[in-house]
Amino acid sequence: MKKYIITGVLFIMVFSFSMCHKTGVFDSDDYDDRLSGGAATVFDATSKAFTHSVNGLSTRDQHVHDLGDGAFEQTFVAAGAVRFGGLGPVFNNVSCISCHHNDGKGTPTAGFATSSLLFRLSLPGVDEHGGPVAVPGYGLQLQDQALFGVACEAKVNITYTDVPVTYPDGSTVMLRKPAYILSDQYTPMPANYLLSPRLAPPVFGVGLLENVPEEEILSFVDNKDINGDGITGKANYIYNPYTQKTELGRFGLKANTSTIQLQVATAYQQDMGVTSYVQPKESVYGQTQDDKKTDDPELPDSILNAVTFYVKTLAVPARRNTTDPDVKRGEVLFNQINCSGCHRPTLQTGVNVTLAQISNQRIHPYTDLLVHDMGAGLADNRPDFLAGGSEWRTMPLWGIGLFDKTNGIPYYLHDGRARTLEEAILWHDGEAKNARQQFMQLSKADRDRIIKFLQSL
Amino acid sequence: MKKIFPAVAITFITGFTSCHKASQSPGDTDDQPVTEQQVLTDFTNNVALSSYLKLSIAAASLNTAIQTLDNTPTDDNLQAARNDWKSMREIWEQSEGFLFGPVEDNDYDPNMDTWPTDYTQMDSLLASSNPLEVSDIQNLTLSLRGYHPIEYIIFGDHGSRKAADITARQKKYMISLSADLTNTCNALYLSWSSAPVNFAQQVITAGTGSSKYTTRQDIFMALAGGMIDICDEVGGGKMKEPYNAKDPQLVESPYSGNSLIDFKNNIIGAQNVYLGVNGGKGIKDIVAAKNKALDNKLQGLFTAAINSFDGITVTYEQAILSQRVQSQQTMDAVIALKESLESDLVPFIQQNIKD
Repeated sequence: MKKYIITGVLFIMVFSFSMCHKTGVFDSDDYDDRLSGGAATVFDATSKAFTHSVNGLSTRDQHVHDLGDGAFEQTFVAAGAVRFGGLGPVFNNVSCISCHHNDGKGTPTAGFATSSLLFRLSLPGVDEHGGPVAVPGYGLQLQDQALFGVACEAKVNITYTDVPVTYPDGSTVMLRKPAYILSDQYTPMPANYLLSPRLAPPVFGVGLLENVPEEEILSFVDNKDINGDGITGKANYIYNPYTQKTELGRFGLKANTSTIQLQVATAYQQDMGVTSYVQPKESVYGQTQDDKKTDDPELPDSILNAVTFYVKTLAVPARRNTTDPDVKRGEVLFNQINCSGCHRPTLQTGVNVTLAQISNQRIHPYTDLLVHDMGAGLADNRPDFLAGGSEWRTMPLWGIGLFDKTNGIPYYLHDGRARTLEEAILWHDGEAKNARQQFMQLSKADRDRIIKFLQSL
Repeated sequence: MKKIFPAVAITFITGFTSCHKASQSPGDTDDQPVTEQQVLTDFTNNVALSSYLKLSIAAASLNTAIQTLDNTPTDDNLQAARNDWKSMREIWEQSEGFLFGPVEDNDYDPNMDTWPTDYTQMDSLLASSNPLEVSDIQNLTLSLRGYHPIEYIIFGDHGSRKAADITARQKKYMISLSADLTNTCNALYLSWSSAPVNFAQQVITAGTGSSKYTTRQDIFMALAGGMIDICDEVGGGKMKEPYNAKDPQLVESPYSGNSLIDFKNNIIGAQNVYLGVNGGKGIKDIVAAKNKALDNKLQGLFTAAINSFDGITVTYEQAILSQRVQSQQTMDAVIALKESLESDLVPFIQQNIKD
């Protein structure tokens, strides 16, 4: 009898503990820290690491993803073609993939087939929706390529000046600061124009970021710097011309775009001159290059939707070397010097009943999706809705260790000026000044550990 | 010459390492197993460098043929140019079995092989008095450069072009296009063979000093990824999109009627990576030593996919309308190969190539 009682008690104990365990929340140690995108993670560290769909799409969803994949790579040609017409009359490039090399970043040149850098334009002040003021004859973006026989808006000449930085330990790194000079303007431009360079960012993982609840992002704002870490952060609220509403900006290098759909449609319109139901007006609307054709929208609705779905369902590459002692130490240092104050390691996505892979996921994008003052050195001095002239959105760091694979030569920061992760860190200023100064005070070995940690992302 | 010494030393070192490993593998009966190093060296020399060198030579040959056609516009000379175009396509399409490294990093692929051609802009260009020297061609948008504009001019609609129909400006355009193509191919070859990029060394020294591929597993994953990608592009893209849409205008090389040959050469290119060519060792040698059944399966799938193209007896533009069953069978065979590369070969590499 005693035996039964003991067995019974043991059974109840085991059972109750299992129940406790089940109903509780996992410790962070219980998660696999390689899963940067949660269920939307893919294990591939080759040049194609950013190009995979999330696992487990339904047959129909996979079909739409594949359609979008094809369209993302599709070169567009001049209007009049039976298939894939509508390019231009002026444009920055001919396909999505031309700039987003392997779905990642590209090369910081402008005006060539291999270029991934574009320039936003505006005049000082704000328009009726609180956004930047269009430059007469040019709009809000400079298109530096054009169809044969059409004048492109202008050319951009890029030069770099060396900027040496010396560590307290005496070692020196040479940074390069870009300068941009416009030439060959097709029509006179007001002298007080503002110019902002934007290097095409990677496009994977944005489905997860779109699904981060607004209140979670807003909880990171610390207007009065109550915790005294020098970091305040700001949510950028922007005007969505399609919904005609003011919405929280999440995408774009100044968080000036609220949804993936708007991002994709605006890229088609502004970067390629291809109109859609979301952005039905030509980028040259009202300009002399306007072809006055009545073929808008040029992009079939289904293709815009498929490309939107394609980027939404691009998986995040898994981390590598997470058990390496230097990587682990680098991660600790990254948090200790408060890089994580803006590059937030962990976010939780909201529930999404249409796509399980991005629903309720614990993800590690290393961003807070807020804009921060990054100092005068990085400033473009061109406001974009609430984002000021020295403010930039925290760049998600997931996948950053794979840029040399996906891009051949890696480039970092909003304009691609940084050629190494170290250079990128050394440009940090403004709200990130404390973190950068602490980084510089670390030993060479510890600085290398932080870099090694970043390379594991 | 100096470079040979470290390469030999590396071969020795890795030879011993691999022997050691192989001796621990119970299924391996080969006394001298093929080393990972040997596969990388043979892939680099026999497959990659050899393909890109042939491509450069073929581009120069096409350029010469087009100049001959310009000087003496006979239909025989037109046919010679067409033959050269097709020969060059064969080499290029096979090299798409390993689309990684400089060909993607430096955008050599879109420089040569952008599709579709922009006929609206081409008409404007040819009707204008804009100069058509090579330096002018290099400034044109990608859809006015590379293989397909040349294809359009030398073949015409359904191959109907006559030598006498080709205008002086079309000829000038083609001469510069083929010279531009030659420049691109030369740059691609040099990026593998010489400093500063010397991509061949990056591959050969994978895991032993390469800055691109810090482990051998990295490069073998890139090789597998290249094979998977081209199967996906053929079976899931280039064939599937026009098939689903029943739209011949979505087929890639319509003027030469060369699309099916292009597709087949893509898969042969992937097979070359797997098997090795000209007596060189391939991935198959590593697979067969440890898992003969897997090697048999993969070789069978390659053969089935490649042979399935022969089941289609008309051009692909026609086949998507009149031979849909055969077209679907071919896509299925290519996708079956892709799926096995993904679900069998990739895990094999992850488990067996650890250094």
